[in-house]
Amino acid sequence: MISELLYIGVLLITAGAVSWIYFPNSFLKRYLLKNRDTSYRIRTEDALKHFFDCEERHLTGTLDSLAGFLNISRDKAAMVISRLQENKLIEAERDGIYRLSQQGRSYALRVIRTHRLWERYLADETGTDQMTWHYLAEKKEHQLSSDETDELAAKLGNPMFDPHGDPIPMKDGEIPQRKGFTLAELPVLETAQIIHIEDEPEIIYSQIVAVGLYPGIHIRMISSDKDRIRFEANGEEIVLSPQIAGNITVSALAFNEVIPEEYISLASLQVGETCRVISIAKAMRGQQRRRLMDLGIVPGSVIEVKFSSSSHDPRAYSIRGALIALRKEHTSLIYVEKTGV
Amino acid sequence: MNLNEHILKEANKLRFQIGENIHDAVISSIYQEANSIAGNAILLDRKKHAKVIDSKVDRIVTSKTWGFAIMFALLALVFWLTVEGANVPSGMLASLLVDTLHPFLKSVATQIGFPWWLSGVLIDGAYLALAWVISVMLPPMAIFFPLFTFLEDLGYLPRVAFNLDAIFRKAGAHGKQALTMSMGFGCNAAGVVAARIIDSPRERIIAIITNNFSLCNGRWPTQILIASIFIGTLVPPLYSGMVTAGAVITVALFGILLSLIVSRGLSNTILKGEPSSFSLELPPYRKPRLLQILYTSLIDRTLFVLWRAIVFAAPAGVLIWLTANITIDDKSIAHLFTVWSDPFALLFGLNGVILLAYIIAIPANEIVIPTILMLTVQILGMDNLGSGSGVMFEADSVSLTADILVAGGWTALTGVCLMLFSLLHNPCSTTIYTIYKETGSIKWTVLATIIPIIMGFTLCFIVAQGYYFLIN
Repeated sequence: MISELLYIGVLLITAGAVSWIYFPNSFLKRYLLKNRDTSYRIRTEDALKHFFDCEERHLTGTLDSLAGFLNISRDKAAMVISRLQENKLIEAERDGIYRLSQQGRSYALRVIRTHRLWERYLADETGTDQMTWHYLAEKKEHQLSSDETDELAAKLGNPMFDPHGDPIPMKDGEIPQRKGFTLAELPVLETAQIIHIEDEPEIIYSQIVAVGLYPGIHIRMISSDKDRIRFEANGEEIVLSPQIAGNITVSALAFNEVIPEEYISLASLQVGETCRVISIAKAMRGQQRRRLMDLGIVPGSVIEVKFSSSSHDPRAYSIRGALIALRKEHTSLIYVEKTGV
Repeated sequence: MNLNEHILKEANKLRFQIGENIHDAVISSIYQEANSIAGNAILLDRKKHAKVIDSKVDRIVTSKTWGFAIMFALLALVFWLTVEGANVPSGMLASLLVDTLHPFLKSVATQIGFPWWLSGVLIDGAYLALAWVISVMLPPMAIFFPLFTFLEDLGYLPRVAFNLDAIFRKAGAHGKQALTMSMGFGCNAAGVVAARIIDSPRERIIAIITNNFSLCNGRWPTQILIASIFIGTLVPPLYSGMVTAGAVITVALFGILLSLIVSRGLSNTILKGEPSSFSLELPPYRKPRLLQILYTSLIDRTLFVLWRAIVFAAPAGVLIWLTANITIDDKSIAHLFTVWSDPFALLFGLNGVILLAYIIAIPANEIVIPTILMLTVQILGMDNLGSGSGVMFEADSVSLTADILVAGGWTALTGVCLMLFSLLHNPCSTTIYTIYKETGSIKWTVLATIIPIIMGFTLCFIVAQGYYFLIN
């Protein structure tokens, strides 16, 4: 029995070896080559992103910074750089300091565009957890072709910002700039809107997410000193350290935005109370947001809390003549003003 | 730069100045416009009265004290009416289709001069399976679904979803899954179709995949029969009826519990990325259109049962007959498979006959017991029983069934494991086909098929091995 198995095994190995020699373009080899291609592409694109990032932050892109960013040895980083130079994607500015060429810049912008569009897609069209958006987009950005990216953008309605508030580069490579300043710089008692939350490093991002902040939320500064920053976000008081607040960018409110006197959520109303909708929080995204708007929950709608279920959640609301049950997790993101009984 | 490009550029610049709230602003202005048009054109005074009554009823059926009591009472009533009411017509159909028409067809076939194998395949195989499915399935379907539709038409069912939503929310599912689950107790395929009422993609797939955990009416008779033979007899005769009913209800409730657990598991793992939303409309109460309900549900269900019997059960009947009648060295294929798979099946507290019955009776759970009886009799060589070698049959009395099964080596453990396996095995082929049609995805279909099977084998293994361990 064993000798038979051995016999078959030897036969198979021989057949494999023979076909390797006679048919060098076998699937296996092609597969291996393709793999090398993709990892080559990933490394190239990540390197370009790094140099782009350096320019944005007015830092210098060097061999060492690249090696650190890609987490590879200096030798390998040197190979990547020489390859990028060969392809005229980067040029040496001075000795040891590199910056993107015109071509390299537009390539980098294309990768960033795919990344941010994919994050937008994950946020709006799927139910993936927001802590995984960045990670998934890091992979996806190397997989979509330029055409596929444009298709994705068209499908999403050419969005302007990713869910973190970063602008999405346009097809022609133009990247819109939004003027903002960090949260720590907001004067006391001033009102502003969060326009961007940096999603790296993850440990800080997860703390910002944990206190419930997201781009689009309105904030009012209460007090700020070098140890802690106290502010109100949609009616709730939040305290952050200045270091974390540095990763949050805010800007003045857009001209057509209404600031409510005080934030009351639909969930906080009692049965029998009536209210008028002021706004739906930006944290309510994608399908659920569209569903609510389809039901007629838009700024100005009048809603009455009719009754609650045996277990208090969901509750039934009278909306434009229809009786609709909604869960608390959603009604707590609808801001209203009471209009009496 | 030509004009078009220039305009596009200008538009893009403006987009940034306007900000992201433009969509909300547009939608709310549309609503405002519609509102003012409607306000000018429509007078609102009708239905004021009806609404007051509605909200009074709503207060009661969703209240803490009465909500659940009313719900359980109504659902229990529906199930009781179905089980009790279906007995008589089922018996009548069986005596007509199986006891009268079957021998008649056989004698006709003999007179025409059909060879034995042809009349075997067509009449003992295809026809008998078809007759069985119709007589077992049609009456409960014809009673259950009109009752269900009545409650729905009344406007009560959405309130059930409303009351139970809290439980389903914790399982990552939609309150309306309570309704598809209840429909699953009638028929899993119908429950899967009913999942269309769930408009959120993730929750809908959850409802579809877990529907099989509702014990459908094809499986109730098996549960009741096995429970009365192997569990009812463990206690004094006085209590046996109660214990039997208790055992079956326990299995059904266990199924509900499992469907919640699996829902939660699915929504936290495989289905994590699917989009999800929640809203539940509570329509006003209204007078049900009785005649329309009766007509449409009777026609719909009858057609569905006939379609299923012809498309799925009849071919299964052919297959069953063939496995029992094709012989190698004087032993039928069924016999050989049973003997071969017996040691494996015993690990799970089952036996080779049960395993084979579940494989060849995938199309319809209704014919599992007739197949099991046929196989047992054939293997034991009890030729005086049943309607001839290799023909499905149902024993005239429960005690006779019990005698056959005990002679086939069944114990209380086999009974318990069969009850569990009947709850937890692949959906019938009609349901599998329906799942594929509804989801359009091979992935979800395969998942819905193998999850219960794996769970069934695992649970039976644990129970059987635990029992052997305790015995020794």
